[in-house]
Amino acid sequence: MSLSCDQLDSMLPDLFSGDLHAADEEAAAEHLATCNHCRVTVSDLELVGDLGRRHGKLELLPIEAKVRIRALLEES
Amino acid sequence: MLDEDRSATTDALFDELADGVYTLAARLLRDRHLAEDVVQETFLAAYRNLVSGDGPIAAWIYRIGYRKAIEAHRRRREEPGDPAVLARSVTRVAASAEHEVVRGELIATLDHAIDELSQPLRVVFVLRDIEGLNTGDTAAALAVSESAVKMRLLRARKELRKNLREYL
Repeated sequence: MSLSCDQLDSMLPDLFSGDLHAADEEAAAEHLATCNHCRVTVSDLELVGDLGRRHGKLELLPIEAKVRIRALLEES
Repeated sequence: MLDEDRSATTDALFDELADGVYTLAARLLRDRHLAEDVVQETFLAAYRNLVSGDGPIAAWIYRIGYRKAIEAHRRRREEPGDPAVLARSVTRVAASAEHEVVRGELIATLDHAIDELSQPLRVVFVLRDIEGLNTGDTAAALAVSESAVKMRLLRARKELRKNLREYL
């Protein structure tokens, strides 16, 4: 089955969550092998997720707040 | 659950999840002081309601944290003239500017772009791509369907892509 770009786009939510069925995954791979536009789009969107994982800031709760909250938990 | 078991469980959960809940609240509220309050309220509520069982406890804690953050956001919205809130906001902006000088341009741009996302997209991006929760736990934490999480993650990445285009 040959996918259109719109069909590929509708598969992206499942593609990025790793939930595509095998047949759809194969069809997506086939489309991406021949469509430069979609290949760049998918690559960019994967990279954005990767940037989030590598550079997205995980805030650290300040140590004094940790101590204060832990004491409250022990009292309660 | 025995009191000592409950205390040990809560301690372990606090160690594992406090920074994650703080990140979610800080990203949602853009105010670190309020985010600390949210963490405190979240774990006090979790401690009071903790029961034994094998449920997805991390998702449950995040769900409490998300609700507490939304409550804090609504309370703050009702008091726009509060000078303490304004002072905290100014402090945050100054701290943010200082960070941007120190950190790389890409990271600062990413940080800013995440803040620019609408709240529903921002929360999903933070939980899925920054904190690494899976789709099911994110859906449980936010009380939305898994397909909504997947759609919001895609929309978040598409919006971020526009703002990060020169780096991709």
